[in-house]
Amino acid sequence: MTGMNDVPNLSPGPEVGPPTTAPAPEVETPAMAPASEVKAPATAPAKLILNLEQKVSVRNLKFYYGPSLALKNISLPLYANKVTAFIGPSGCGKSTLLRVLNRMYDLYPNQKAEGEVLLDGVNILRPEEDLNLLRARVGMVFQKPTPFPMSIHDNIAFGIKLYEKLPKSELDDRVEAALKRAALWGEVKDKLNASGLSLSGGQQQRLCIARTVALRPEVILLDEPCSALDPISTAKIEETIDELKENYTIAIVTHNMQQAARVSEHTAFMYLGELIEFGVTAQIFTSPEKKQTQNYITGRFG
Amino acid sequence: MANNLAVENAGLKPAESRLAKALAGFKLRDTGFHLLTLAAAWAVLILLGGVIASLIVGSMPAIRAFGLNFLVTEAWNPVTEKFGAMAPVYGTIVTSLVAMAIAVPSALGIAIFLTELCPYSLRRPIGIAIELLAGIPSIIYGIWGLFVFAPFLQEHVQPGLISAFAGVPVLSKLFAGPPYGIGVLTAGVILAVMVLPIVTSISRDVFETVPTVLKESAYAVGCTTWEVLRSVVIPYTRVGLIGGVMLGLGRALGETMAVTFVIGNAHRIAPSLLAPGTTISATIANEFTEAVGDLYTSALITLGLILFVITFIILAISRYMLMRLQSQEGR
Repeated sequence: MTGMNDVPNLSPGPEVGPPTTAPAPEVETPAMAPASEVKAPATAPAKLILNLEQKVSVRNLKFYYGPSLALKNISLPLYANKVTAFIGPSGCGKSTLLRVLNRMYDLYPNQKAEGEVLLDGVNILRPEEDLNLLRARVGMVFQKPTPFPMSIHDNIAFGIKLYEKLPKSELDDRVEAALKRAALWGEVKDKLNASGLSLSGGQQQRLCIARTVALRPEVILLDEPCSALDPISTAKIEETIDELKENYTIAIVTHNMQQAARVSEHTAFMYLGELIEFGVTAQIFTSPEKKQTQNYITGRFG
Repeated sequence: MANNLAVENAGLKPAESRLAKALAGFKLRDTGFHLLTLAAAWAVLILLGGVIASLIVGSMPAIRAFGLNFLVTEAWNPVTEKFGAMAPVYGTIVTSLVAMAIAVPSALGIAIFLTELCPYSLRRPIGIAIELLAGIPSIIYGIWGLFVFAPFLQEHVQPGLISAFAGVPVLSKLFAGPPYGIGVLTAGVILAVMVLPIVTSISRDVFETVPTVLKESAYAVGCTTWEVLRSVVIPYTRVGLIGGVMLGLGRALGETMAVTFVIGNAHRIAPSLLAPGTTISATIANEFTEAVGDLYTSALITLGLILFVITFIILAISRYMLMRLQSQEGR
């Protein structure tokens, strides 16, 4: 357990220019070797930003599906009010990592996590953590749109009503605000009583985002939110993400590397349950430090 | 060998004709299959029509003799040949309602437990036990009900019910009179046990159709298991649930043997659930062999027709409810 706690930051500002050297794989530091699970994250954020607040810090996280180890000692930060993208081939553990952050895995008896996930400095993996409250603080949007079997209005009001008793007018305001945030208000304001299932796929997904936003969570987890959507809906959702980060800390899993490059400030590249590289998005995509990252983003494997 | 050679020598033509022949063969088989399935479908309709027609023809004498009064007459007197369907119709409906009132909540509870809460290692044993419950022949329920369950109710439950509700306005009427053991309540409870596995296994199956990701997204807004069930799982599955309940109700309405054993077979309408009564199917089963005279037989057949109509109405109502639910979806 060495050097995991705080990210050693070197250079300021996200606009760190790419290092002059080419990707230069194993040479830079010995810690770069993929086998060194412990040190990799410690060196990876080397090009990060000074003085960024860590909303979430994942430390030495191991995750098991039954006996099989799905996450091998992951450590990384999610910075407050920034978008962090998780990329990597299928089965690399990106979604698993996301499901640890709101303890969704807890629904299933055979899954367990070891290590620490600090949300505002408090370990959410403690057994006594209140899961319902945690999930209200850490919202999640899934790969497939999942509107609840109720009206558009109720889809959003539902989550609010679980926690707050609001007068109707205030509730309606919250619903409207959430729909506006998710860029859906204009399309549905005349049919709030229609079923959430009557919307198109892209609208449904924005409804799900609105539903998550309505709870005023602190962190929003997006698990491939655009994989089932057409380019126009995708663009709208990306715009939404861009606006949301003013108020929220966002983690997004995506298979679409252009999307990761467009929406995120930081990118984590994962492979076979390991965090290979974590850094400023611009740098990961222009001059990654690891050969594997380079190969993946240029489409040579994965 | 020789054949192959011949074909090759002859060039394309034989191959083409062979293909044509094969295609014709497919077509023939296709048509044959189509006709077969069509015939099966028609056979069902013809059978149904035949049953309805024979019920109507058979009940004509009674209908001619009593008219619509048959429905609202309580008397059932084979000696004077005065017959009325009111007591068995009442018994049928009340026993079924009692059965559903007990079975539906328990079945939903079991199904919810099995799909959402039960540890994985227990799911299979409990599921199998419930299916075995469905496999017990109704005559066994009848014997058990008569020799074990009814005396038990008579000694331990019914006196308690009577004294507990003695002062309460409506309930004191429902649970009044001497504890016979056998009666409408006992029949309803036995029916509930018989209906329980049907409703349980259908509810469990429809609960399992809820996509995991939908449940997860409900958990993701911070729902407890109860809130997920109430607001997502049950609304999502209500069409299937109503279907399951209606199937159970259908079985309760038509169940004959077990009810005949424990209901007491008395042709009268008593306000108390503890009093003996009768149902349509129990009356038919009890009296068919003794029915002498056309009018008596015809009266029994008319009872059958009424049961048929009741079942039909229940089905129609459930269809209608489902349609309304679907069109109202979302509000």
